[in-house]
Amino acid sequence: MIWEGAYRVIGWREWIFPAPSHVLDAMLGMLDVRTGFGKPLAAGWPLIKGPAGRDPGPWYSSPLLSANLVSGLRLLAGFAISIGLGGFLGLAMWRSKALDQLLGPLFLGLQTLPSVCWAPMAILVFGINETGVLFVLVMGSFFAIAIALRDGLKQIPPIYQRAGLMLGADGWKLYRYVLLPAALPAMAGSLRQGFSFAWRSLMGAELMFVAVRDHGLGFLLMMGRETSTVEQVVAVMIIMVVVGMVADRWGFAKLQQKVQLRFGLG
Amino acid sequence: MNAVDRGSGEQRRAVGPFAPAQLQRAPVLRDVGRGRLEMRGVDKGFNGTETLVLQDISLTVASGEFMVVVGPSGCGKTTLLNLAGGMVKADGGEVLLDGKPVDGPGPERAMVFQDHGLFPWLTAAQNIGFGLRMAGMSRAERKDRVAEALRTVHLSSSGEKLVHELSGGMKQRVAIARALVMDPAVLLMDEPFAAVDAQTRTLLHAQLQELWCATKKTILFVTHSVGEAVRLADRIIVLSAQPGRIGREVRVELSHPRDFDSPQISELVKLVRTEIEDEVNRVNRKMAGDFWKPAAAADLGVDPHDMGGGI
Repeated sequence: MIWEGAYRVIGWREWIFPAPSHVLDAMLGMLDVRTGFGKPLAAGWPLIKGPAGRDPGPWYSSPLLSANLVSGLRLLAGFAISIGLGGFLGLAMWRSKALDQLLGPLFLGLQTLPSVCWAPMAILVFGINETGVLFVLVMGSFFAIAIALRDGLKQIPPIYQRAGLMLGADGWKLYRYVLLPAALPAMAGSLRQGFSFAWRSLMGAELMFVAVRDHGLGFLLMMGRETSTVEQVVAVMIIMVVVGMVADRWGFAKLQQKVQLRFGLG
Repeated sequence: MNAVDRGSGEQRRAVGPFAPAQLQRAPVLRDVGRGRLEMRGVDKGFNGTETLVLQDISLTVASGEFMVVVGPSGCGKTTLLNLAGGMVKADGGEVLLDGKPVDGPGPERAMVFQDHGLFPWLTAAQNIGFGLRMAGMSRAERKDRVAEALRTVHLSSSGEKLVHELSGGMKQRVAIARALVMDPAVLLMDEPFAAVDAQTRTLLHAQLQELWCATKKTILFVTHSVGEAVRLADRIIVLSAQPGRIGREVRVELSHPRDFDSPQISELVKLVRTEIEDEVNRVNRKMAGDFWKPAAAADLGVDPHDMGGGI
């Protein structure tokens, strides 16, 4: 309110910093809904008459929804690969001390590398295409998954293994019925951390890979910059935060909470 | 909450003449001559055999006997139990159960751990049924046996509770039920009541005694509490420390179930406690003699008030 009011009363320049109403306009605009919330009050406000800049299609083909869909699919694919790779390596590092000593410090180091830094390499190796985007996503998240899983597995009290063996859970049964369930809190934690890494990596990658055929959220952000529509930039940033937060709060945090409640850790 | 009880009742009726009621009594008969645990000249060391934790341990727990091993902390009690359980391998000598060498852990030597070791992702009933499930028993059969086990430890109404919802004493009772339901030849107990309050402990002692009288299982129980040992044992073995060696053996010739407040018990406690205290003092003198040199500490420029600083 204050933000909007300051804009309306003092007359901030909207092309440098937009008012909330402009951001709302931009958001709705990307959904192919045209309004004029950001326009000065006049008769008929905020309904806009006159032709749109672009022929609006049906709502489901609006740029914002299709961008969310594209980003979502990329995330799903990349995150799945990350889970597979990180899960396998985390498990291997937990079982094999030699492998842990070999890869542990390397992974910790690589984890500190901002994921966008993989983009130039991905462009050179894979070209500007989906593979490149996925590469950046996977590189940005699977180290974190592997490390978090390994650390969580290391914290499984050894008594569970002893109790399991004592009760006749040997060989694969020990893994399936004792170690796997005992690792659930670790897995929930590593998934949650992995997701936040994956989402950030994907957004970064999409900024660098604007020329890929399908357009994700990062593309919309870059387009906002290209066309100097700062309200679109802010709108896309807000959407990125909201999507990431919703997935974390309502997805992974809930999952983690459920596991911890069961284990009496919460 | 009585769902478990009612369910198993129906189950029993459905099964009819193949009555689990008879099966439940069967272990007592089967246990005759079963569960003789023997250790012959067992050595166990730290880092190979550099420092011996246990030296030349030879003991026999007869079938159906309740043996308690007492000793000061760090004397290798738990190691002794782990050897019997097959959790660790002896560096010398052999461990035999009914004449067969023990190799690796297994349900015929069920263990009750000091910190229960129940699986937190399972309910109490599922924890008890875990071993049977691993043995490939069907769900229906399992349900019956678990309900019976829960009744034995007086937890029929808590079967559906998660582990963290149980009190310390209840957890240990579930752990005991989990071991007993496997119908083990020997029950190994590693200071199972060390972490519960005194009142609960007395209750658990009485219940364990009752259980033992009913099942006549061979029990090897280790503890540092002399009172606990005298209350429960047929035979007490005092383990000396560093390295752990078999010290005095005390027979407790009092009938079960025992009155824990009887003067004979207090008398015996006093006797065994003196024995142990001598041992503890000997160990402390030995350990202190090795590095307690106040004068030398001052020479080295170490502040005698802050000698733990560099640890």
